[in-house]
Amino acid sequence: MLNYMLRRLAIGLLTLLIITGVIYGLARSMPGTPLTVALGETDPSRKLNPADLERMKMAYGLDKPWYQAYFLWLGNVAQGDLGRSISRKQPVTTLIGERIGPTLALSATALLLTWAMAVPLGLYASARSGMPDERATSFLLYVLYSFPTFVAALFLQIIFAVWLRGTPWELPLFGMTGDLVDPSWAARLADVARHAILPVLCQTYVSLAWYSRFIHSTMEEVVRQDYIRTARAKGAGPWRVLFHHAFRNTLIPLVTLLGLSLPSLLGGSVIIEQIFTWPGMGRLFFESIRERDYPTIMGLTLLFSVLTLAGQLLADLLYCVVDPRVSVE
Amino acid sequence: MPERVSHGFWFAAWRRYRRKPLAMAALVFVCFLIGVAILAPAIAGTKPVLCRYKGQIYAPCLSYFDRRLEPAIFVKDRFRGTYPQNLREKDPESWAIWPLVFQDPYRAVRDNEWPGRPANPTKDEGHPNRFNLFGTDQYGVDVLAKMVHGTTVALAVGFVSMGLAGTIGIVVGALGGYFGGWIDMLLSRVTEVVMCIPTLVLILALVAFVDKPTIWKTMAIIGATGWTGIARLARGEFLRLRSSEFVLAARSAGAGPLRIMLRHILPNALAPVLVPITFGIASAILTESALSFLGFGSPPPSASWGALLNDARSNLSMWWLVAFPGIAIFLTVLAYNLIGEGLQEATDPRLRESRK
Repeated sequence: MLNYMLRRLAIGLLTLLIITGVIYGLARSMPGTPLTVALGETDPSRKLNPADLERMKMAYGLDKPWYQAYFLWLGNVAQGDLGRSISRKQPVTTLIGERIGPTLALSATALLLTWAMAVPLGLYASARSGMPDERATSFLLYVLYSFPTFVAALFLQIIFAVWLRGTPWELPLFGMTGDLVDPSWAARLADVARHAILPVLCQTYVSLAWYSRFIHSTMEEVVRQDYIRTARAKGAGPWRVLFHHAFRNTLIPLVTLLGLSLPSLLGGSVIIEQIFTWPGMGRLFFESIRERDYPTIMGLTLLFSVLTLAGQLLADLLYCVVDPRVSVE
Repeated sequence: MPERVSHGFWFAAWRRYRRKPLAMAALVFVCFLIGVAILAPAIAGTKPVLCRYKGQIYAPCLSYFDRRLEPAIFVKDRFRGTYPQNLREKDPESWAIWPLVFQDPYRAVRDNEWPGRPANPTKDEGHPNRFNLFGTDQYGVDVLAKMVHGTTVALAVGFVSMGLAGTIGIVVGALGGYFGGWIDMLLSRVTEVVMCIPTLVLILALVAFVDKPTIWKTMAIIGATGWTGIARLARGEFLRLRSSEFVLAARSAGAGPLRIMLRHILPNALAPVLVPITFGIASAILTESALSFLGFGSPPPSASWGALLNDARSNLSMWWLVAFPGIAIFLTVLAYNLIGEGLQEATDPRLRESRK
């Protein structure tokens, strides 16, 4: 076990080194620097004069080639320092700390809703497999699965923010909070919840379609096994076979899925947060690429990659827990 | 007794595929899109499909595909893109076959440019109407014309990027699976690393990295990041098939590794690999339109469906800017997903037997 963990850790660290190296190189090779992009694009007269630019480059360590700067950054990360954002003048860890809450609020709600609906839907689909109502539901879920989130988000915005404007059904177009006269915490919570409805809806429907299809297809494979036939033959009722014999065995791939959803839980969705201007991690990443804010790009990349690797490790470990036949050795 | 003909694998797969109405409908839809893409200048445009001018026959509509195909004489005679009036005035003998819809994907049609056709409405006046079936955008450019000409982009994105991803994936998977050992070790690690980089992170960084984004660069980037799943699958297939008897037979007959991989294993591994490629086309189209939607796509002249949606973001009251391109993206993605599903069911023997 210890041996296995050490090996995974070593491979994981190597992977992290390669990923951050590649992204660092790419980020530094993007045209423009944080200093020129922020000032030069809006107003040419505010362009820095070359001497100032050189001085600022020195101050931010941008005068070194990227491979040197990468090792400096790596050294700082090893000491627990992710650096300071160039465009926002704040430590990257503070920025991430501010953004992680809103993202978690969205994605955790969406994930809970998804699981709460996907499991019953998937079971229903396998119980009624082949019947007209199951075919209709499955097709509908398939259609939902192919529906692009950004199109759905725009449709929802048009319906709830434009067409229903002035009715009680009106929902805010974007942002996380509105202008509140009464800043009690209950009113504030309700306000955030109202703002979160559309983004949560958008995040939920795609994964709902995907998860319930996944549950359905793993169930389809399980019900063909011999032990299901045995259970039926010994006289177990259809519901008992479904829950007791079949569903338990689909838990293995499901648990793996749970581990793999870890990065999206904290990483957020760039597209949804961008459309609804939700102040989360995905939007921070998008903005930092636009602003060429290298420390923030790198901090987020590091976080995303660590989460992805941790999710894979978690999935493998959980796999051993739910299936005693599998061992990590 | 009737002679039983043994059909090939692909013929049998096609027969099974044909029995699925949804998958067939999806295939017909994609063929329809290909038709629209090829005939785009003949469906919507302001340049004649064919015309006779000063004794010569020209096809000015081809300039929609490439600006260099604009016949030089029209540039010399200062047509400036407005054909109907100029043709009539400069050569009364001329005739022309016009596109089905007289609308341009790059500019608004002006008043009386075409007899009896008023100027395109601008801003939120541009509701779908008799002359602009899908409405117009805020500058008065016809949405239908933009969408018809954007079909090329949507289709090319799928084919080009997944062609690239498929090639990389099959080569990487084949080398790793067939040779095994340290080659497999190395290639598997590379695949894992690329898999671990969050796709959108890599794509956004790459798109920002290329200086002037064109639609071809976007396609190349989507292809260069989307091959990992295909590589894993191909590796598994090659690993499984390399120890099969027909490979042993080929090897003992003296076939080299390249010949075995290309002639003997690849045809047998192609069907399972084709399925993720088809699903990949769907997700490539999604990614491209999402990138254009976020403003990271190709610059304005190439009208991608996602770019149309980006226009809609700042004009939410113009619902037609969302509805028509949105539904087009959705239907295309759905069609490719259905084709992938149909292909999977038609070629996967495990799924086939269980249906009985």
